[in-house]
Amino acid sequence: MRRLLLPGAGVALIVLLAFAAPLLPLADPVAQDTVNRLAPWLPGSPLGRDEFGRDVLSRLIWGAQSSLQVAFASSAIACVIGVTLGLLAGWFRGVAEFLSIRSADVLLCFPPILLALLVVTLLGPGTGTLIFVLSLLYLPNFIRVAYAEVLSARNQDYVEAVRALGASPARLLGLTVLPNIAGPLLVQVSLSIASAVILESGLSFLGLGVVPPTPSWGLMIRGARATMDVAPTLLLWPCLALTLTILLMNLLCDALRDALDPRAAAMQPRLRPIDRLLPGLVPPPQPALLEVRGLSVEIATPGGMVRPVEQVSFSVRAGETLAIVGESGSGKSLTATALMGLLPPAARASGAAWFDGRNLLALPEDQFRRLRGGAIAVVFQDPMSSLNPVHRVGDQVAEAILAHRPAIGAGRARAEAVALLARVGIADPERRARAYPHQLSGGMKQRVMIAMALANTPRLLIADEPTTALDVTVQASILDLLARLRAEDGMGLVLITHSLGVVAEVADEVVVMYAAQVVEQGRVEDVFARPLHPYTRALLAAIPDGDREPDGIPGVVPRPDSWPPGCRFAPRCGHATERCGAEPPALEAALGRRVRCLRWRELPA
Amino acid sequence: MFYVARRVAVSLLLLWVIATVVFLSLHLVPGDPAELLLSTGGAAPDPALVEELREQLGLNRPLWDQYASFLQGLARLDLGRSLVDDVPVIDEIATRLPRTLELILAGTLLAVAIGIPAGSHAARSPGGSFDRVAGWIAALLQAVPVFVLGTLLVLLFAQTLRVMPAGGYVAFAQDPARHLLLLALPAVAIAKGMAATVFRMTRASVLDQLSRDHVRTARAKGLAPRLVQRRHVLRNALIPVTTVLGLQIGSLLGGTVLVEYVFNWPGLSTPLLRAVEGRDYPVVVGIVLTVSALFLLINLVMDLLYALLDPRIARS
Repeated sequence: MRRLLLPGAGVALIVLLAFAAPLLPLADPVAQDTVNRLAPWLPGSPLGRDEFGRDVLSRLIWGAQSSLQVAFASSAIACVIGVTLGLLAGWFRGVAEFLSIRSADVLLCFPPILLALLVVTLLGPGTGTLIFVLSLLYLPNFIRVAYAEVLSARNQDYVEAVRALGASPARLLGLTVLPNIAGPLLVQVSLSIASAVILESGLSFLGLGVVPPTPSWGLMIRGARATMDVAPTLLLWPCLALTLTILLMNLLCDALRDALDPRAAAMQPRLRPIDRLLPGLVPPPQPALLEVRGLSVEIATPGGMVRPVEQVSFSVRAGETLAIVGESGSGKSLTATALMGLLPPAARASGAAWFDGRNLLALPEDQFRRLRGGAIAVVFQDPMSSLNPVHRVGDQVAEAILAHRPAIGAGRARAEAVALLARVGIADPERRARAYPHQLSGGMKQRVMIAMALANTPRLLIADEPTTALDVTVQASILDLLARLRAEDGMGLVLITHSLGVVAEVADEVVVMYAAQVVEQGRVEDVFARPLHPYTRALLAAIPDGDREPDGIPGVVPRPDSWPPGCRFAPRCGHATERCGAEPPALEAALGRRVRCLRWRELPA
Repeated sequence: MFYVARRVAVSLLLLWVIATVVFLSLHLVPGDPAELLLSTGGAAPDPALVEELREQLGLNRPLWDQYASFLQGLARLDLGRSLVDDVPVIDEIATRLPRTLELILAGTLLAVAIGIPAGSHAARSPGGSFDRVAGWIAALLQAVPVFVLGTLLVLLFAQTLRVMPAGGYVAFAQDPARHLLLLALPAVAIAKGMAATVFRMTRASVLDQLSRDHVRTARAKGLAPRLVQRRHVLRNALIPVTTVLGLQIGSLLGGTVLVEYVFNWPGLSTPLLRAVEGRDYPVVVGIVLTVSALFLLINLVMDLLYALLDPRIARS
């Protein structure tokens, strides 16, 4: 709203000044005084006199009036007629629709100023012509705004209901549609006014708009051009007035649009330097492929710092699969994103993630880049949006090869890409390599993503919900593919999923996450044989199994800015006591694994 | 192929509709063109002269008959003769259209050369100093009307600094250096609005692309930032920019009228303005139709370019 204030006040001042012109103590704007022509300054004429000895200040202010009159009148006419036509077109459809919408289309085929010139030829110059042609020019926009709104309103239940009650169409349109389009219409009116001021001045400048001696900024510039060499300021004043007015109007339009269109008001979160602790200064002794120690992610939001991942630790050995499980909002995907060094700018990762003796979280970007797609690769959740729609899939796979092995050349990279597509089970890989993503099915696209990830035989593959966006029938084949490739290449696999069913099929180790924290962690067979944490049990119960109806977990994961004070699962937990709601549990060793629950010993097996 | 054929057909249809609208507006407006043409200073013209002119213009024939010969003329690219100096309209257009086209081309190239790099650079650090300064310049450029900028350029470079000619035209073949010098200021003036729009559009579009999943994929491949930017951000971001470019050319075509006037560039606007003042209908109609056809053609090219840039369009 602050952005509205300044330009709004500026525009209001200009409008006020223009329409108060008759009340102000100004000289007659058309009175000629050839003795004082081009005088730079005279008592009562602070800005001097023009080529006919007329007072410049007075002409500037009166000129604003004639510009604004034309602009307001034409926008108002265009708005009233356009909205009426749009409403009729949207409501009655058929002939009314065809005539209004098509004529609007035809109007848009003319470059604006040419249509104006055509009309001026037919009707002769003058204020009336200007208003007519400008309202004609802005008509299409108003028709469209009203038309689109009616169309969407027609399908809404309340409109149907009111119609069923027998309300008249006019009443219905007035009550339901007009209030909805008030915002966009206001924006459209302000845009039209700003644009009308520009066109009016342009036509007047050409001598085809406002008829002299009526003052107008365009005419003033036209007149001052001739005497530019002796009186350049004469040219500057109307130029300045015109530009300033349009600038303020444009700013007002932008601010109005943002205020009335919440989508555009995207906030840029500020980054605050955050304190980092010093976990894992030394690489751990027995080298796993990936060793994550105390990984946390913090995000600066307009509401303050949130911590969607807290102190996560795990390790992955070559040839093994580690699964990270949890509902949406548990922090599992951010964990993967942090390991790939692909966090958004507002997010910061702390802790350590050792890979090849290097801490990924502290790795400079150019070194990390060499690892990404090379030794560490990733398959993302949504293959529909993760492939670039404008490049052929074969080229996108080849690109991954060339990014790390530029020496092999484009031809061999392409051949290798085709071989990779064959390896991930794509039939007719030659032809498919030349396809664009939109020509492939979802499962096929995910296979392409996997081929891309395998391009440089990674040692660690991170798969972030690789099957969530796919059909159930395709899911199993993708999981099989991943398991087969892991076995063939001996790579480590981090599999992120929300389904324990998937975990049971492919994983060796499992990390269960809830609300940013690890709640249970251990070997898959142990966890499945005897889940210790109530959340793990709830997830297990949610697996569809034969005829048994899966049990959903009531409630949702709390948001990072409103964690419960004690155990974060307590509000949804059937076993929660008063103590659970007050005392945050620690992650402790239990039966060969780790669990974060105050009552794990007491709970029935 | 089907897509191209359909787009071409739609453009031709629109051209026919425009021609019809222009024809009808000429004949349905109250007042007799012949009478209006001959009346000077409010005095009623000699009825005999009016009748003669009506005969000459074919105004006393039935409307459909006039319409038929109007369309036939169009098909043969015969736009009639000027009422004032009796020159075939098409000849006038043929000599002057290339000069207007040159102005449009120079303006567009300039706008693209400035707007796209500036926009994608600004999107790298939104809210940064470059972004804010460029944003203000763009806002200012959008606010200053094209004829105001043109006039101020003349005032600054020709009148005050005396480093550039105030206007005029020399054929390229005659003196290439002078030709380009004379082209410079009009091209800048005409490019200003489009440069600002292209800048804003590129910036918004790049920012949008940067948050897309496929850009994350490209980074996950380990592509060099330069390549990510070029192949996966800019390449995709330019698709909506071309649409805006096509739409902007409409206002650019309008802008040429004013810019040619300010800089005495002998394009289509000189005869157009003279014809509007003198009510020389055939010339006005001829030029309006030519420019509208040009507008349609440019939009057609832009649409085809769009299909080329975005493989999802043509095949769906």
